[in-house]
Amino acid sequence: MGQFFFQRAGQAILSVWALASLVFLLSRGAPLSDENLGLSNAAELSNGTPASAQARDLARQAARQRLGVSEPLFYFSRQAPAPGGGPAPWQWNGRRNQYHRWLGAMLRGDWGTSFRNGQPVVARLGAALACTIPLTGAAAGLTLWLALVLALALARRPWWRRPALALLAGLQALPLFVLATGLLLSLANPDVLDWFPVYSQTVDGEGIYALGSYLILPLACLVLTALPELTLQLMVSLAHELGTGYATTARAKGLATKQVLRRHTLRNALVPLLPLVADLLPALVAGAVVVEFVFSLPGMGRLLAEAAANHDYPVLVGGVLLVGAARLLALVLADAGARWLDPRIA
Amino acid sequence: MKLSLLAGLCTILLTACSGPQEHVPDSVRIRWDSDPETLDPLQQPNQSSSDADNLLHLSLLQIDYAKSSYSPGLADSLPRIKLVGDSLTLLTYCLRKAATWDNGQPVLASDVAFTLKLMQAPGLANEGIRTQFNFIQELQPDPNNTRRFTLVCRGQATDFAHASGDFFILPEAALDARGTLRRYHLIDLINRPVNVAPDTVLAALARRYATIAPGQHPERLPGCGPYSLVSWKKDHLLRFQRKPQWWADQLSPLPPALQAHPSQINFLIIPNSASAVMALRRGDVDLYPNIPARDFNRLRHSAKAQQTLSFYNTLSHNVVTAGFNTRRPALADHFTRQALALLFDVPGLMNATQQGLGQRTVSIISPNTGRNYADSLPLLPFAPSRAVALLQQAGWRQKVAGPAARWTRQSPTGETQQLALQVRYRAEETTFETIGLQFRAAAAQLGIAVELRPTEASAFTHKLQTGDFDLYIKSIMGNPYTFNLVPILHSEAVGAGNLTGFGTPASDRLVEAVAVAQSPAVRSQLLRKLQVLLREEMPMVPLFFQYNRLVANRRLQNLYPSSIRPGYAAAAITWGPRSIL
Repeated sequence: MGQFFFQRAGQAILSVWALASLVFLLSRGAPLSDENLGLSNAAELSNGTPASAQARDLARQAARQRLGVSEPLFYFSRQAPAPGGGPAPWQWNGRRNQYHRWLGAMLRGDWGTSFRNGQPVVARLGAALACTIPLTGAAAGLTLWLALVLALALARRPWWRRPALALLAGLQALPLFVLATGLLLSLANPDVLDWFPVYSQTVDGEGIYALGSYLILPLACLVLTALPELTLQLMVSLAHELGTGYATTARAKGLATKQVLRRHTLRNALVPLLPLVADLLPALVAGAVVVEFVFSLPGMGRLLAEAAANHDYPVLVGGVLLVGAARLLALVLADAGARWLDPRIA
Repeated sequence: MKLSLLAGLCTILLTACSGPQEHVPDSVRIRWDSDPETLDPLQQPNQSSSDADNLLHLSLLQIDYAKSSYSPGLADSLPRIKLVGDSLTLLTYCLRKAATWDNGQPVLASDVAFTLKLMQAPGLANEGIRTQFNFIQELQPDPNNTRRFTLVCRGQATDFAHASGDFFILPEAALDARGTLRRYHLIDLINRPVNVAPDTVLAALARRYATIAPGQHPERLPGCGPYSLVSWKKDHLLRFQRKPQWWADQLSPLPPALQAHPSQINFLIIPNSASAVMALRRGDVDLYPNIPARDFNRLRHSAKAQQTLSFYNTLSHNVVTAGFNTRRPALADHFTRQALALLFDVPGLMNATQQGLGQRTVSIISPNTGRNYADSLPLLPFAPSRAVALLQQAGWRQKVAGPAARWTRQSPTGETQQLALQVRYRAEETTFETIGLQFRAAAAQLGIAVELRPTEASAFTHKLQTGDFDLYIKSIMGNPYTFNLVPILHSEAVGAGNLTGFGTPASDRLVEAVAVAQSPAVRSQLLRKLQVLLREEMPMVPLFFQYNRLVANRRLQNLYPSSIRPGYAAAAITWGPRSIL
């Protein structure tokens, strides 16, 4: 088990490095616009005197130097094509390149600073995670508990099974944005039901818990979105296990269906559910951009979406690294969990 | 167990079912759609950042929203202007005697000199402001008065009078206590080569500035503005507290530009407009600037909303414009451009995108600017039949009349040109998309193929600057003071701000003359000539000016709704009596 774990962890680290490198090279390969460099848009009428083309070029050069994007991107690069035509020659750039500096800094634990505001990436990610993890963590915990309770109940084929399945199927078909906006417009609207606040203030030093009751609607959105898939999968899995020989034997010995479900079939039924549960871990870290947007929560989803929109590459690469690591860790844990639940899995 | 769980859930729900949060009396809560990102006074990447810095710091001149003009801020009066020869302008300022930093030390000419040098120092995030203010080449202090100084500016333009006073003054003592920057001349810093490594003094200054990090910790850089930042929760909330003793409180009468009434100003960051409207309705937000036209109209016509909210609508200086790539052979002649300009149904577009809340215009100069606006020019009609006649005048022919046949013509070199357009606009901008769709539909009726290309924001600017488009749709953000149109209309700006690529010797001469005009009357005359020329050449089609729309709690007073961004004066706001509601 230990060897397996270390082997998978090693593979995961390599995969995260490859993923982060790819995102770094792809994102830095795109040219930064004047706005991304902190310069005004040349096509707008600004106050002060308009800068000459030469002054703008110098300002761009200075900004690139300050942001560390003036050096070549990678160890080798292709030169501009020769005027006479023909293929452009390759050039060796040595260690003075952006990728080398970034990798060295990452290995030293320095994730860089945001292009937009100069704040350390780790601090930005940390602040966003402090909002996201409690919310998504609570949502994941609640979803798992509800899915378990619901699936166990539905597997016993109660009278309300059909309407419950229809409701779950309906919820699964509903896009998250529609669900979130629907809840907002129906439960936080003075014209309909004014039950919940739309915005809640917290100040420095107060965690997301200070938002208190304000979190009910975002939590409800996340739970209602994730619940159908887990419940339906577990219910089907439980139904399958109930039809197997060992479950029949248990019933023949006089156990009630409820006891058979809980004591005998649940463990086996959980195995196919593990990949779905593993998917929750990266979602915990990545946040829920739609819910954060609709309910004005300063979480990871919004941070990464805005970093991508504003070309804030250090924050984007840091976020991808974190989410990628969480996903790979989740896969390793899912494998280990499956082995634990069913030792026959080699 | 189940009972206790149910009881717990009920308690949470009951707690949730409370009304709007109580807030500090006299405080104002304003909705922003995004975080300012940085409060560095040298770098304001967005409107929120600029608005926040305006509460922390002061400039020599401040905007008086009541008059929509600049008025003295830290300076005791507008600058005295003296022209030297034909290439220099001297602007003499004197700082107010009462102006002090938070520690009681006076604001002096040496602080202004330090700020100007800081704006040009290497290694700081000042590249934007550096290019904007490099026309100020020297500060000459008055040897007899530590508050009086003269700015020596390169060039001559009426804009200098206000542009020279529109930057935040920073305290030398907080950033450079030993006065190490005093040994440098401003002009040397301006002309310093970018690729030369900074010397030890400048490098130390950059390190010191980075350590203080005023962009993230504005409390470490005391300003002489009326507010201090007490809380900043990223992407969520900024809270500014009124200083209990601010130097301007002793001025009598208090200049309108230096009013600071609310005890606390909270900027609530609510990115989703639907959520912001709900927050406004519930009383969680007091002021919602730049509200979408649809929501503005809906609330304005709601009897329930009218009981608690006030509505303000002022003409902005943002003009929605379509621009032709005049470098394309098919669009190189003005007849073709004039024809295509007649395919925009502007009244219909204003109704569709602005709910009718816009103002038609004949040019990119705002109708609000009085005599500068060429009101003698007629508004462009939506006239596809006249467009056909103009296209024929431009040499375009259809083999068969009708929407199925394409328009072609022979170029002077004998090549066959086809009239087909690629329209670019910023992706996810519904206003521009609607304009593009209407134009495409009108063009299709005439047999002109139009392809819409919504483009990602940063790629959009690059595509326009490199000429990869036939027609763009975007808004030009202006202000009531700047009439220097060189960056967007001069032929030397092609490849940068002149996106249409248009520029003739006559237009260049006019644009240059407007920029350096010494009197408002002369400038108005030149601007009118320029507008007539632009109408004739039609490199761009000004469609309509947008409105600044504000919705506020009915009790809020002294908002000074204005055409100038952000469209209101946050620090001037006061609360009226409760009986108003």
